[in-house]
Amino acid sequence: MKTVLIVEDHADIRRLIRMTLEFEECEIHEEATVDDGLVTVRRLVPDLVLLDVMMPGERNGLDLCRAIKSDPALAHVRVVLLSARGASADREAGQAAGADAYLVKPFSPMELLELVGGMAETP
Amino acid sequence: MNAPLTRAELGMPDETMPQAPANSFADSAAAQMERLLADFGRMYRERNQALLEVAQAHHEALLRLSRAAEYRDDDTGVHIVRIGYLAWAMALKLGESRSFATLLRQAAPMHDVGKIGIADSVLKKPGRLTDDERKAMNRHPEIGAEILGRSRIPLFQLAAEVALTHHERWDGTGYPRKLAGDAIPISGRITAVVDFFDAVSMDRCYRPAFSAEMVRSMLIEQRGGAFDPRVLDCFIDNYDEMVALRDRVNGDGMDLSDLALQAPDAAFMPAALS
Repeated sequence: MKTVLIVEDHADIRRLIRMTLEFEECEIHEEATVDDGLVTVRRLVPDLVLLDVMMPGERNGLDLCRAIKSDPALAHVRVVLLSARGASADREAGQAAGADAYLVKPFSPMELLELVGGMAETP
Repeated sequence: MNAPLTRAELGMPDETMPQAPANSFADSAAAQMERLLADFGRMYRERNQALLEVAQAHHEALLRLSRAAEYRDDDTGVHIVRIGYLAWAMALKLGESRSFATLLRQAAPMHDVGKIGIADSVLKKPGRLTDDERKAMNRHPEIGAEILGRSRIPLFQLAAEVALTHHERWDGTGYPRKLAGDAIPISGRITAVVDFFDAVSMDRCYRPAFSAEMVRSMLIEQRGGAFDPRVLDCFIDNYDEMVALRDRVNGDGMDLSDLALQAPDAAFMPAALS
């Protein structure tokens, strides 16, 4: 089963994402802050992190994405950014941070499911 | 269906950590979104179920057509089931993904479906074929690919690829396109080896089956000729296991329904992988 971590400060959005992912077989974990997110990524080494870009605190989702992508132990963890900002500069920033995909909010449940479904499971 | 949830039930500690308005939805809006999402989920599942059923029906129809083609050529029709399992085991041994191996198990049995388009006078001719007859016979990969390749479903695209390429040879002298080496898809390279192995291991009206030892040396003789050296070496390294797998498919009376779109019996997992 795929392990997915949602890092998103907005509890209602977290819940909607969780409900969407539950239509596929996934083991779902949630964190509300960048700091807790990083701790949990290191502990779980999930298949996928769904990561909100704009979060309160000193570090945002892009910082967490870079931290994941620069850690060799987390090399195969896929990161999907979720952001209310869809301008090409924002997407490029996501790409530069090493994100595997970029979804614009309001997120499309279908797009999210297809992304998770099309993702290879790590053995 | 869930009753609308209050903020407290949503696990949002309103008392201890007041939420900024921008960071939460009104209860009624959140409840309505959840309701919409639940309905979406139901339709998503129903759609996936419907797609699966269509694919299963399509697969079954084409497996039956493949068996019809096989019956004209062979006695039992079990050959194509064995090809499925042998190709699957080889894909796993060669380090291909499980999902690819499963797909190949379902696709490889259809490799000769194009024989349905070959005249009996050619297909069943006991002696040597004339050049024209050979030419007609060698059209069966393309006929098969044509029958199988009209679908967007990955299984049938793979089946068409196998049908088209299972008579290509590593040295580039095969047919229909004289592909060589890695230009032949791995699906076709695997199926070429297991098809040859299985075909010469069974009795034909014009000759008895070759012994397992004889078959082994016939295979090795074609290393780098008909067969990809990497696939062939892997097959030879696991030769006893492949013979055992073939016998197990025969012994257990496996048939086409066992190849359907579902996970294989764990008992058929190659030992090193289970």
